[in-house]
Amino acid sequence: MDFGFTPEQEALRREVRAFIAQHVTAEVVAEMEGHNEGLLGVTPGTSRGPAVKELFRKISERGWLGISYPREYGGQGRDRITQYIVEEEFARANVNISTAGSSAPMILAAGSEEQKRHYIPRLIRGEFSFAQGFTEPRGGADLASLQCRAVHDGEDYVINGQKMFTSGAHYCTHLYLMARTDPGAPKHKGISVFLMRLDIPGITVRPLWTMQNDPRAPTRTTYGQSRTNEVFFDDVRVPKTALLGEENKGWYIGSTGLNLDRVGAARYLISVLRDEEIINWIKENRFDGYSPADDPAIRDKIAELWIEAQVCRLMTMRSMSIVEHGGRFAYEGAAEKVWAPEHGARSTETIAQMLGPYAQLLNGSPRAIEKGIFAHNVMGAFQSQINHGSVQVMRDQIARRGLDMPRARKASR
Amino acid sequence: MDLLLTQDEEMLRHAARAFLSAECPTSLVREMEKDPKGYPDGLWRKTAELGWQGMALPGKYGGLDLPLVQLGLILEEVGRAIAPLPLHSTMVAALAIASDGSAAQREAVLPGVATGKKILTWAFAEHDPRLLPETVHTHAVSDGGDFVINGTKLFVDNFVAADLCLVACRTAPASDGGAGLSLFLVDTGSAGISEKPLITLAKDRQSEVEFRNVRVPGPSLVGGLNQGAPIVERMLDRATALLCAQMVGATRKDAEMAVEYSKYREAFGQPIGAFQSIQHACADMLVWTDAASLLTYEALWKMDQGLWAGVEVSQAKAFCNEKCQAVVRLSQTIHGGIGFMMEFDLHLWFRRVSAWAMRLGTTFEHRARISRALLDHPGRVVLGRPLPGSAHG
Repeated sequence: MDFGFTPEQEALRREVRAFIAQHVTAEVVAEMEGHNEGLLGVTPGTSRGPAVKELFRKISERGWLGISYPREYGGQGRDRITQYIVEEEFARANVNISTAGSSAPMILAAGSEEQKRHYIPRLIRGEFSFAQGFTEPRGGADLASLQCRAVHDGEDYVINGQKMFTSGAHYCTHLYLMARTDPGAPKHKGISVFLMRLDIPGITVRPLWTMQNDPRAPTRTTYGQSRTNEVFFDDVRVPKTALLGEENKGWYIGSTGLNLDRVGAARYLISVLRDEEIINWIKENRFDGYSPADDPAIRDKIAELWIEAQVCRLMTMRSMSIVEHGGRFAYEGAAEKVWAPEHGARSTETIAQMLGPYAQLLNGSPRAIEKGIFAHNVMGAFQSQINHGSVQVMRDQIARRGLDMPRARKASR
Repeated sequence: MDLLLTQDEEMLRHAARAFLSAECPTSLVREMEKDPKGYPDGLWRKTAELGWQGMALPGKYGGLDLPLVQLGLILEEVGRAIAPLPLHSTMVAALAIASDGSAAQREAVLPGVATGKKILTWAFAEHDPRLLPETVHTHAVSDGGDFVINGTKLFVDNFVAADLCLVACRTAPASDGGAGLSLFLVDTGSAGISEKPLITLAKDRQSEVEFRNVRVPGPSLVGGLNQGAPIVERMLDRATALLCAQMVGATRKDAEMAVEYSKYREAFGQPIGAFQSIQHACADMLVWTDAASLLTYEALWKMDQGLWAGVEVSQAKAFCNEKCQAVVRLSQTIHGGIGFMMEFDLHLWFRRVSAWAMRLGTTFEHRARISRALLDHPGRVVLGRPLPGSAHG
C-alpha cells in the first residue's frame, strides 16, 4: 500500500496549479458563469465561448488531455493516477478535462481499430462528446429491462424508442446508446451498444427541467443549471459499423463502462467540495460575535463530515488504483457510489443546520452566502444518490458481486 | 499512490491468517478468557518464531525494520482471530523505546522483545480517562540517583503478563511552559507496586496499578526529564492506529460470519441472505469495514513516512469506534437469537470490538482533536493536502 504521490506527480500538480492561476482568468470565469451544464464545470466538448476555447487549446498544448490514453489514439500514454491529479486540479477550477462518461474508456476497451482511431483522439480533443442513452421512461434502476429497439435492415440498423435523463444530449455531438437487438433472449443477453451522431434524421431531443433548474445557480453547484433531456428515435438508421463490440454483448460493455463512470475526480469532488467550502467559510466569517466554529456541537459534526470526506477520497484513490491495475472492479466502484453521494447529501443537510435561515438563500438574494451555493445544493446533492446507478441498486451489486449473496426467489404468497 | 496490497503484503496477510486459523481456535480464545495470565505461552513463542514481535523493530536490535503498515497487517489478523496475545501492548511500548529510548534502553529491552522473551505494556490513563497530559497525576520525584513514583494507573493492558511497563508520570506542574510529563520504564515486579484486576467486557487482562513509593533507578527515564509529552503522544498515536487495525480485522471477520450465516439460514421459504433488507445491511457492513481499513492504513503509512499523523489517527479511531461497533451490532441482529447464545462464537468478536471502541480515545475526543486541527489554525483547508499549521496537533 502506498498512500503518497511521486515527486513527479507532485511537481505536475504544482505546474497545473500555476497554469490555472495564470490562465483561468476573470474573462474565462465570466464565460463559465451561466454556462454550467455538467458535472463540475465546462468541458472541451461543451465550451462555446472564445476564452474557454482558448483555455482548452492551451491545456491541450501542455499534453494534459487524455493523459492515460495510448499515444496512438491521441493520448499521452501515462498512468491513471497522474491523469487523476490533473483532472482534480482543473475540476477545482470548474474546468472538466476528463473525457466524461463511459464512452472513451469503453471504445478503447471494446471498439474496433477503426472506431478507436475515429473517436478517441476527437474525444480527447473535445471535438466529439458523448451523451449516454441508457435510461428509459419505464426504468432506470432496472436498466437491463430497456425496450428501445434496434432492428437489422440490410447493412443498417433501424432504431425506434425513447430514452430519458439523457443529460448533455442538447450540446453533445454523439450518443452512446444501449438498445435491444434480441427481444427473444434473456434481458441481459439481448442488448447492444451503438455509437451515433446526435444530428442524424429521426432523433428528437426535448428538454426536461429539474427542480434545481436556475440559470443563476453558481458554477460549482452540483448538477449546475440542471437541464436534462428526453430523446425520441423514429426510424433512426445507423450503419452496422455503429455497433460497439459484438451484437447482444452490450450489457457487459454498458455495465463495465458505468463502473468507470462512477469513479474519478469529478465524482469525488462533487460529494466533498461543500465540506471544504463550509469549513473555510466559518473560519473566515462571523455573525456579529458568533461563529459556528465556536459551537462544540457543530465542531463535532464538522469533524464527522471531514472523516467521511476522507473516506470519499480514499475510496476514489482505491478505485483509481484498481483502474491502474486493469480495472477489474468487484464491488469497489459501487461502494464508492454508495458512500460518496450519501455523504454529499448528509453534508448538505448538516451545513443547512449550521447556517439556519441563511441556508435558504439562493444566488441573487440579498444576504446570500457564497452565491447561495449551499441552498442550490440542497436540491442537487441527493441527485447523486440516484443517477448513474442508485444507491439501492449499488447495494444490490455489492451484495451480489462483493459478497456473493443469493438472488431472491419469487415472493411466496 | 496504490491502495491495493503489494504481493509481499498479500503473502504476509495470507501466512498470518493461515497460521492463526490453525493455531488459534475459538476454544483457545474461550480458555484464555478464564486464564489468569490471559495468553498461551506456546502460541506466543510460535509468533516470535515467525518474527511478529521483531518485525517493526530496528535490525540492530534483532528486528526486521519493516514498516508499521506491515505490523498493522499482522495485528489485523490477530484481531480477525481475536487471538489472545499481548502483542499490541508489547509493540506499543517497544516501538516507543525504539524511537525515543536511549541506546542502553534499546539494547536492554528490544532484543528480548524480538525473541518473545519480554512482554511489555504501558500505563497512561488515570481516574479522568481522557488521554490528555493534564489528566496525569501519578508523579515521579527525583531522589538521589533514583526516581520515586506514586499514583494509580487504570486500564493497563496485560500488566499481569508484562515484564516491563512504560509509565507516564508527572515530574513538573503542567503550567510550567510544558506538559511536565516524563516517561519511565518500570519493572513490573518492583517493590511498592500492587495490581487489581479489572473485570472487563472483553474478558481481557486489564489492571488498576497502584504505585506506592516505587523506586526506579535514574536510567529508567525514557527521553528527557519533563520531555515526555511528545513521546507519549507519538506512542498513543501508534497504539491507537494499531488498535484500529485490530478492530478492522475483528470487524471484517464478524461481518463475514453474518454474510455466511445469511446464506444458509432459511426463513419465509428462502435463505435470509436473499432478502434485500439483509443484503443492504451486509453491503453497508462491507463498505464501512473497507472505509475503516483505508483510514487506518493511511494513518500507519503516514507514520512510516516519519510524518505527524495525529489527524489521520483520530479520523481512523473516531470512524472505527462508530462503524465497527455498528457492523458487529448489525451482525448480531442478522444472526438473530442464536447470535447471543453463549455457546455460539459470535459474541467473542462482538464483545472485543465493542470494548476496543471504548479504549484509546472516544469518538468525541478524536473528533475534538480533528476539529481543532481544522478550525483553530488560520488558513484554508483543502482535502487531500496537509492542514494549515498541521506540523503538530
